[in-house]
Order: sequence, then structure tokens, then C-alpha cells
Amino acid sequence: MTVLLTIQQLSVKLQDKVVLSALDLTLNEGDILGLVGASGCGKTTLLNAIAGFNKPSEGQIAIDGQLLSDGSQCVPAEKRQVGMIFQDYALFPHLTVKENIAFGIAKLSKIEQVAQIDHLLTILKLTDLSDSYIHQLSGGQQQRVAIARALAPKPKLLLLDEPFSNIDARLRNELMVEIRGLLKQFKTTAIFVTHNKDEVFTFADKMAVMAQGKLLQFDAPSVICQYPNSYQVADFLQLGSWLPCQMNATNAENLLGKLELETEHVEQASLTHLLVKPSQLLLNDKINDNNVANAKVAYISVTEQGYHYYLSSIEVSDADKKLAFNKLSLYSDIALSLNQKVNLSIKPHKFLFFS
Amino acid sequence: MIALNNSKTWKLSSYLIALVLIVPVLVMLVGGVSASTQLFSHLWQTVLPSYLENTLLLAFWVVLLALIFGVFSAAIITQTNIIFKKQLRWLLLLPLAMPAYLVAYLYTDLFDYAGPVQRSLRAWFDWKSPSDYWFFDIRTLPGAALMLALVLFPYIYMLTRGAFEQQDQNLIRASRLLGLTAKQSFFKVALPLARPAIAVAASLVLMETLADFATVQYFSVNTLTTAIYDTWLGYGDLGAANALASVLMLLVLFVVLAEQKSRAGLRHQSARPNLNRELIKLSLSQQIFASIFCWALVIFGFLLPLTLLIVMAVEYSDVAQLSVLMSTGINSLKISVIAATVAVLIALSLGLYQRLHSDKYRQLPLQISGFGYAVPGTVLAMAMLSTLGPLDHWLNDAVEFFGFTPPGLILSGSLFAIIFALVVRFSAIANGTIISGIKQIPQSLDYAPASLGVNLKGSLTKVHLPILTPAILVAWLLVFVESMKELPAVLLLRPFNFETLSSQIYQLISDEMLEQGALGAILIVLFGLLPIVLLNKSKEKI
Repeated sequence: MTVLLTIQQLSVKLQDKVVLSALDLTLNEGDILGLVGASGCGKTTLLNAIAGFNKPSEGQIAIDGQLLSDGSQCVPAEKRQVGMIFQDYALFPHLTVKENIAFGIAKLSKIEQVAQIDHLLTILKLTDLSDSYIHQLSGGQQQRVAIARALAPKPKLLLLDEPFSNIDARLRNELMVEIRGLLKQFKTTAIFVTHNKDEVFTFADKMAVMAQGKLLQFDAPSVICQYPNSYQVADFLQLGSWLPCQMNATNAENLLGKLELETEHVEQASLTHLLVKPSQLLLNDKINDNNVANAKVAYISVTEQGYHYYLSSIEVSDADKKLAFNKLSLYSDIALSLNQKVNLSIKPHKFLFFS
Repeated sequence: MIALNNSKTWKLSSYLIALVLIVPVLVMLVGGVSASTQLFSHLWQTVLPSYLENTLLLAFWVVLLALIFGVFSAAIITQTNIIFKKQLRWLLLLPLAMPAYLVAYLYTDLFDYAGPVQRSLRAWFDWKSPSDYWFFDIRTLPGAALMLALVLFPYIYMLTRGAFEQQDQNLIRASRLLGLTAKQSFFKVALPLARPAIAVAASLVLMETLADFATVQYFSVNTLTTAIYDTWLGYGDLGAANALASVLMLLVLFVVLAEQKSRAGLRHQSARPNLNRELIKLSLSQQIFASIFCWALVIFGFLLPLTLLIVMAVEYSDVAQLSVLMSTGINSLKISVIAATVAVLIALSLGLYQRLHSDKYRQLPLQISGFGYAVPGTVLAMAMLSTLGPLDHWLNDAVEFFGFTPPGLILSGSLFAIIFALVVRFSAIANGTIISGIKQIPQSLDYAPASLGVNLKGSLTKVHLPILTPAILVAWLLVFVESMKELPAVLLLRPFNFETLSSQIYQLISDEMLEQGALGAILIVLFGLLPIVLLNKSKEKI
């Protein structure tokens, strides 16, 4: 695979505030990268820096081996061959669908322009709408025009800024599949920004999780889900709930019992959090001498996987207060009532602790 | 995101334009403030106190009357079930098209001792002389105030109506559920909520009143504007005229500051303005009273004066009048077209600069260029004379020094001065319209062309300007109409023997011969209707 985009030690300051700091990223040709993170983490700023709308204060951005910015010089946006699909599509209201698509290819000959426009109109099923104005189109149709317009100049890299946020939830999945198919058909390398992690799994090949201007983890979505590298990544992706543990040399002590560690823990007596997925919890609602109650039901809802419970710890001594938990997520077919006391235990598995 | 452009030439030219627009007023203020204390004390001991008193009294009466006319009519239209509401809604805006000096002349003609009303009364009651009866004298300060209020109240009507209509109906509903009647809820909730809008409108009326020249001049009410005019044209005393203009300018600045302060509180807008409002049902007598009130404003503020003008035009128009009308009309057109074009070009350049340039203070040139709207035409004319006069002299000296024939007063004695003054005065209108057009362009459209490989020039010509075309047209039209109507600046700055429609009509009014210019006056009124139609249309859209 050829590397298309290389970002090294990129920092961006906006109004003297550091929005991106020392960020590294590489993207292979033809890959679709989903950039996720909470609002304000710097996703859109990164996109704007790549597009040339933000000037980096430090670091380098290169596409296809060509250096676009290195802190001192900056290739203007219109010379980068980077296309962009804006959140509100930014379609020109005074131009027709056809004219919008033609906007970026005025330098081609008329014949080439017509061929390119017709090709895109056909592929994006816009032929019947080619003479319509933007306000006459539905949201989905407008998005297709935005894609056609962005693809027309054959950009080396396509940036999509929350492209599905304005689309009706019922249509969203369908559109994501359709657009991913299109990008693959055109062999377009793309980066798309979203605050909805679920979109990444359908749409992207690679995933990058950002927080506070830093890139936390970059890998295939399945790998990140299985092996999140930090508390922030696991927490943002909601990969499970958190059980506070007191780490000892050979075990992790918590309010549900002691967990034997496979390898000896070096940093003794520290407090960490165990990532617990619902499937890793074992529920016993029969309380007796062997099964002492150690949790109670704090919230109940019903889902297609059965009842969904949040369980919290029951009253604990002052010494154990730091180990108290309040939102262990669990699915079960057993009907429990609010505040009902239960016994919980953790199935043996490869434990993931984060501080 | 960063702005798309950091051109130094654009930056320099933007600041230069703003500077050129503000310099004349600064020069005048410096001249006025640095005028000898002797001059000020002389003015203070002679005419200034009475001029000031008249100006403030006039302002007080106009604002009071306009508030009564404007707030009540707005309340009646929005809160009651008055009949012909739909028609009255826009008819009440029309008096704004009528220049106050026209109304003043027409009503003097109508109600004076020799006018048809008093003549008929004398014939009916067999009165022989003025001592036989009392009749109000229209050519007084209260008379002038009434004339001005009759044509300025629509400012208050329009903004107050808007405020009432934009109010959150849930607030009114809540007050009703808490036991208030419709009438009580109007006085205790709706009216207090509309107060900021009313204050803004009142300050507009106040500014227009302070700027008025022709009405008070015609009624021989000596205010600061007439004093400036007389001091300059009568006595040729530029220093004293500047000093008076500076005093007036300070008054206006005070009003502008007060207006800005009240505008800061103008945030009672609503997300639910369109809920069905419950109207106050008027009894028959209330219905009659309300109808008389609203229709009287429409009739006396617009329909009657227009009818009188039409009657005059039909009776007195002839070919000679038409040819005069043609030549003055062409003069008016010439200066208005140039002023509108220049103002729009400046507004576009500075508006786009504010939007697209990376300059940290990019809004500054636009803000500076818009200050002129607060400056009365008379003051502006003095500013032009104080700046362009010396410039002309320097220019002539310089040309003579190099052995050429001096060109004469090419700046202060030509159309340049008038057009310059019109551009300074009405740039704010063009700015406002263009900026609201620019604001409607989503920010992403600034960036989309670059993402498609198109540079700033292409983006401006292919995206921004085509999208802004309607705003450009409206801005052009508004400045054009205002320039057609402008009187004091034109009167003071026009070259010898150069007449515009408004100056010609003013001359005819001064000579009590408006009949000769009735057609031109109708034309000015019709031009004045254009922005009202546009304004009403945009208000309806909200």
C-alpha cells in the first residue's frame, strides 16, 4: 500500500489556544479514515488544516509526497487537490445541480467537462435533477450533489465533515453504505469526521480517536474496540463499564471479589479501573449464605437483548468508598426490581485495567 | 477557520476608504472645537441659547407626538380587531415617503389666513377680519413639530409593530392564565417588552428631527440647522458655522449613544411569534375612535398631501414646467446614480473585506464608513466645505507654483462635493443591506470554492457576487432614493446654477410657488415609496 497522507508533529493554534498538539498520522491510498472524538476535541480543526483553511503553527502535512505546510509556508487551499464535503454541503444556491458539479472543473475542455458531469450524474442517480436548483432537492439528493461536486476535480484526498449529521436517522445507514461503495468505486482516499462512533464501523476502514487536540489511538475499528489503549478511548467508545480496583502484587481487589492477575503487578496499592463488558458479568439473584449481596439495581430498561440494568454497589465502609461503583451495565432475561439486591461476579477473561 | 485572504493592498485600500469618509467630519469637529472662545462666547451671548432651546423643544414635541401616533397605531393594528386592519397595516407606513417640508407647505397653503379652509369659514360665519375668530397658527414651533411627527411617526409604528408581532406569545398566554385581561396583559406585558424597540425608533425620529432643515426654515423656526445655513450662506462665517455644526454633531452623538444603549436591551425576540394571538375586541365606539385615529394619520400624513399635489399638478402643469423638471430630474439622477454606485462599491469592498480578510480588526473600516448616517446633511455640508475648500486652495497654489493655470474650485465647487457628502451620509444604508446579504451566505460557501481548486477572485465573481446580486440591487436602490431626496447637503454644496429636484422644490416652496414644481414633488414622493415597499416586503417575510 502506498502512503498518501503524512502528518508529522502537527500543532494548530486558534486565537492563541492550542487546538491540535504534536499530532502524527499516516493514511494509505484508498483508505477511508473515520475521525471520532467528543465535540471540541479538534477533529474539524485537523480537517481544516489538511484542507488549507487553518494554518498550522508547527509540524508538516504532505500529500502524495508533496509538502503542503510546514509551519512557515502553506500551499493555498485551492492548490492542494483536496476535496471537501461540508456539514451543510455548501452547495451554491444560485447554480443548478449540473453547474455546481462543473464548478471545480472549469479548466477542463468543454467535452471533458460534459463527459465528467454525465458520468457523475449517472453514477449518483442525479441525471433527472441536473437542471434543478439546490432548494428543489431533498437532503439526500443534496448530499449526492455535494459528493459529485467534490469528486468531479478528482481530488487526491476527500474530506467529509460530519456528512451524515443532517440526514434522517432512518436513511443514514442506507446512505453510508451507498457512499462508501462510491468512494471505493472511485478508489478515493477519504477522511470523515463524526461525533457518532457507530458511523465509523459501517463507513471506515481505519479509525482515529481524538481528545483534547491529541490523537489517542489509530487502527482498524475492530482492533480499537478489542484493545483500546486508554481509559479515554474505551470510555468514549463506551466499550463497557468501569469497576474501581485496588491493585496488589498478584490480584486486583474490588467490591465484587478478588481477581487473580496473570502477571505480577509492579505498581502496588494503586487504584485502577477495570473495563467490564456486560457479557463478562455473572448475575445471581438468589441471595443466601454462599451468595452474599454485593450490588443493587439502580436503573432498568428493556431492550432486544433482554432487560438492561445499571447496578451500583451497596453501602460500604469508609475504607472501601473509593471502590464503590454506580453504573455497571448488564443485560439479563431475569426480571429484577429497582433496588433489589443481587450477587455479581466477574467471569475470568483477559482483564483490561486503566488508570 | 482562517480568513481566505491577507492581501496588503486590500487592507490598505479598505482603511484608506474608511479614512477618507471620516476625515471631513473630523476636520470640521477640530475646526469647531478649536474655534476661538471669543466666537463661542459671542454665539452664546447672542443666538446660540435660543437656537438650542428651539432645537430641543422641537425635538421634544416631535418625539412626543410621534410616540403617541406610532405606539397607539402599532398597538391598534397588532392587538385589536380593527376593521380594514390588513390595509391599514401598510397604509400607515406611507407617510414616511412624504418629505416634511412638502407637508408643511401644503398645510400652510390649506390652513393659512388666505387658504381655502379659513376662507370658507369666514364666508360661512361672515367673519370679516382675523380679530373676529381664533384659528390655530400652523407656522409655529408646535406646527413644525406636528408636520415632522406626521411623516416621522411611521418609524415608531414600524419598529413597535415588529416588536409586538415578534413577542413570545407564551408570555402573553402566561399572563392571561395568571388572571390578566387581554387589555391588562397588553399594558403590563406586551408594552414593557416593546420598550427597547420603541426607544430605538424614538431615537431615529430624534435624529431625523435634529437633521431637518427645510421644514423649520420654511416655518421660520430658528434651530441649529437653520443657524448653520444662515451663518454660512448669509454671513459667510465658516468658523461660526463650524462651531454650530459641532454643537449639533455632539447632540446627535448623544442620541446615537443613547440609542446604542437601548439597543443592547433589545432581545425580547421569540421563537414562537406566530402562535395565534388573542385580539382585544373593540366595542363599536372604540372601533370608531380607533379607525378615526388610524385613518387620520394615513390621510393627513399621506393621502391628503398627495391629493393636493396631484390637484396642483393637474391645474398648473405645462410644457415649460416639464422641461425644468427634465433638467433638474437629470441632475438629480446624475448625482444619485453616481452616489449609489460608489456607496455600493464601497459597501461591497468593505463588507467582503470584513468577511474574508485575515485582518484582526477587519470589521473596523466598515464600522467607520457607516458613521455618516448619524451626521445631519447640514453638518456634513459644513464638513465638506471645511475640508475641500482648503484642499482646493492648496491644489491651486501647487498648480500655480508649477506655472500652470489654477483649475479653480474643482473639489468644493463641483458635483464632487455633493456626491462625496451623499456617499458619506448614505454609506451606512448600503453597508447594512450588503452586510445582511453577506451574512446570509453560509461560511462554508467561502471555503467550498477553494476545496474545488478555485481561487479567491473566482470565488468572488462566481459565488459571492452572484449570490449578493439582490442585496446589491436593493442597496443601490435605497441609496439612490435617499440621494434623490437629500436636501440640506445639496443646498449648501451645489455649484452655482445647479438645481436638483429637491433643491428646485425647496426653492419653489421658499418662493411660495410649489404649483410650479408639483410634478417634481410627486416624483420625489413616488421615489420615497420605493424603499417603503421594499421594507414592508422584507418585514412581511420575517
